[in-house]
Amino acid sequence: MTRFSARFAMANGVQVRTAMALILAAGSMWSTSAYAAGTNAGTTISNTATASYTDLAGAPQTVDSNTVDIKVDELINAVVDATDPGDVVTMPGTTGQVLTYTITNTGNGNETFSLTANSSVGGDNYDPTGTQIYIDNPTSGTPGVYDPGVDILYTPGTNDPTLAPDASATIFVVTNTPSGVTDGDKGIVQLNIASTTGTGTPGTSFAGQGDGGTDAVIGTTGGDAQDSGTFIVQNASLAFAKSASVLDPFGGSETVPGAIITYSLVATISGTGTLTGVTLGDSIPANTTYQTGSLTLQSAGLTDAADADAGTFSGSAISVNLGDVAGGNTRTVTFKVRVN
Amino acid sequence: MRALLPILALAVAPGAAQAATPLALQSDVFVERTEVADGRTRTTLTAPDTVTPGDRLVFVLHYRNTGSSAASGLVVTNPMHPSVAYQDADGAQVSVDGGKSWGTLAAARVRTARGDLRPARPDDVTHIRWKLAGTLPAGASGNLRFRGTVR
Repeated sequence: MTRFSARFAMANGVQVRTAMALILAAGSMWSTSAYAAGTNAGTTISNTATASYTDLAGAPQTVDSNTVDIKVDELINAVVDATDPGDVVTMPGTTGQVLTYTITNTGNGNETFSLTANSSVGGDNYDPTGTQIYIDNPTSGTPGVYDPGVDILYTPGTNDPTLAPDASATIFVVTNTPSGVTDGDKGIVQLNIASTTGTGTPGTSFAGQGDGGTDAVIGTTGGDAQDSGTFIVQNASLAFAKSASVLDPFGGSETVPGAIITYSLVATISGTGTLTGVTLGDSIPANTTYQTGSLTLQSAGLTDAADADAGTFSGSAISVNLGDVAGGNTRTVTFKVRVN
Repeated sequence: MRALLPILALAVAPGAAQAATPLALQSDVFVERTEVADGRTRTTLTAPDTVTPGDRLVFVLHYRNTGSSAASGLVVTNPMHPSVAYQDADGAQVSVDGGKSWGTLAAARVRTARGDLRPARPDDVTHIRWKLAGTLPAGASGNLRFRGTVR
């Protein structure tokens, strides 16, 4: 590890000596701002006062006090935030479903953290499977966005991220959604981080384990932190109903030669998701003749040719391309045949 | 040798005059910790070797005229360490500009990054000082205190 030391001299004999370790960005994006996490561990706080006065002879005199040196120990604190703006939408049987977290070293020393993802925390409807943790690649891909094949697979004990004071890293938990889940189900994944120096009740001290040979002291967060992200399953299903009404040449409803049969195909899409590429089709029954130009969608006429509109009559069957249909919608297609 | 003594006495005279009004200044730093035990809150002051961010520090300056004659115009100045945020002090003047100008914290102004002035906060204080009125007789002493928080 590369190290450097900085030395600042101030008026009146006060000096600050800090030893900072430069962290190689093995993990992710780092950002720092001075002092938000407190004075860096290893800093020496020195205090010297000065008195000036005039003696009996009228001569100005100056005297310095003794210097008190106090070293700043390392305080271990950390925060995890699930940063997705809301529940992350998933669908049954999908892979590579991503939750995003930010981990921040809110302590005052360089600290290494181990990561664990727990998908069976309870309070949800299903457990996401195949959980893997990725660290945002700081030099490649889009910062803060999961880039498959670019971001770095986390292996405990091998590439535990080390964060400078105030630094953050983006962590992705990538999971699969079981095929058996249903619309509206929620799956929670908790990301835990723990200081590799140690965890415990606030105030617990690890002698000599802090930056610059200081003691490491567990801060208010206990040296570990966690937050949960949530998947929500959005799925849609289609119910299909077909009905027929008959108008015979005599004004009745007997299925006799010359009678016109109007078929209604009703697709009801339910659920919170969207069905994509929905097509309604039906073959023309034997011993009947399709009535040219009788095809409708939502009561609007469609041409029989395979052209810009959604409807097609192929000679033996009709077909209407409904495209993407969100849950809560109904699509009705009608066409007419004449009984031979 | 006898003849030399008066000369020696003369030679040390300026030094002796200087030593006639020596002042001793002692700096002590304590950390104030509050513990709740058995439902009672106990505040302790200890002289620490180490602190952590957020610790409350009490600085005590003890001055004493250890000479045989009075000193006048006594001014005790203490720069704030950059890692210590000033909290309060009794009867002290503060400076927010590195000791160039002095006054009360209420009157102090700090120039912002945008260039306008805003009222100073305690943690803007860079130096504090006490100006003691009158003279400090031989043997007289006193304590000055201020508080700060480890940033």
